[in-house]
Amino acid sequence: MGREQAQPFDWGCGMKARGAGWRSVEAAAGLLAPVEREVVLGDLAETDRDVWRALGDVLGLAARRQLSLWRNWRPWAASVGLALPASLFLMGCSVAASADLAGALRELDQVQLLWFPLSRLLLVISWAWMAGFVVGSVSRATLWASLLACFVPCLYCLSKWPGEGLSHLRLLVFFLPGLWGVWRGRRQMQLGLGWTVLLAAMAMLTPLMWSKGGWVYGCWLFWPGWYVAATARRKQ
Amino acid sequence: MVGEFEFLILSAAAHLGEEAYGAAMREVIETNGGRTCSLGALYITLDRLEAKGLVETWMSAPIQQRGGRAKRMVRVTREGVHAAREFYQAVIKISSGTVWGESRRSRLTGDAA
Repeated sequence: MGREQAQPFDWGCGMKARGAGWRSVEAAAGLLAPVEREVVLGDLAETDRDVWRALGDVLGLAARRQLSLWRNWRPWAASVGLALPASLFLMGCSVAASADLAGALRELDQVQLLWFPLSRLLLVISWAWMAGFVVGSVSRATLWASLLACFVPCLYCLSKWPGEGLSHLRLLVFFLPGLWGVWRGRRQMQLGLGWTVLLAAMAMLTPLMWSKGGWVYGCWLFWPGWYVAATARRKQ
Repeated sequence: MVGEFEFLILSAAAHLGEEAYGAAMREVIETNGGRTCSLGALYITLDRLEAKGLVETWMSAPIQQRGGRAKRMVRVTREGVHAAREFYQAVIKISSGTVWGESRRSRLTGDAA
């Protein structure tokens, strides 16, 4: 345990703490909700605690808050229930769709063949956006865990990917639309009914078109579509 | 029935009355209760007590002495008083006939004499 003593606060300009120790306490308090952060930093400023204990208080509270979130179904559904299986599924779809498109582009004289791989690519992008949207809206406070559940399989597959250079991108076609969906899901908790119907239809089509991993896996991947349909904003 | 730490928090809040808030309650628990109390345990337990309707909490106005930061004020509700009393009476009742319970009684009767 460190012996660093609590540094005095400069009250004159709004809690401007001196010393790296207290700055780290304030940085750690960023893990807390804004209202609670203010209360806890105020309490710590009042009591003459050493920096290590103050840091333990803040991190302990943040850890307890995070743990309490996991008693609910939402973080589990977003991370283990969707982000993990969706990233595996979408990597397969990304590779297949980009390979289709590359094949069609090699034979550009047969333009009528191009629409099919393009529509499959559009399905992947839409499904990725919808999955990201559901992950972002189901559990905003545990987004880090959902992102981890998505990144780990991606990094593993990238490490095993036989191609070189830009061919890595074929695995991750879904990635940017997925992140865009997460961002939208965090900000807007409900979609309009029209968008929802479109996305739900795509949600049904995409796993059916690829049917990777068997029908149980495919049926499981329907749930984001049902979720957006159930939470759609309906006109009053 | 409330738990031991919940009882300590209810007692600290009741002891402080209108001045009950996080830092002050922690001070009372550590000084009078003789145990360390982290802010994490304190605020998580306060949330639980509030969800049970045993305490009420609200934010004070920003206070200059805390660098313009607000306090989370605490008040024990009628249900909280009832729950704390129930816990206290259970402890007294179950302690009667024990070494520690008898020594307390004899000390009290000795004091009275």
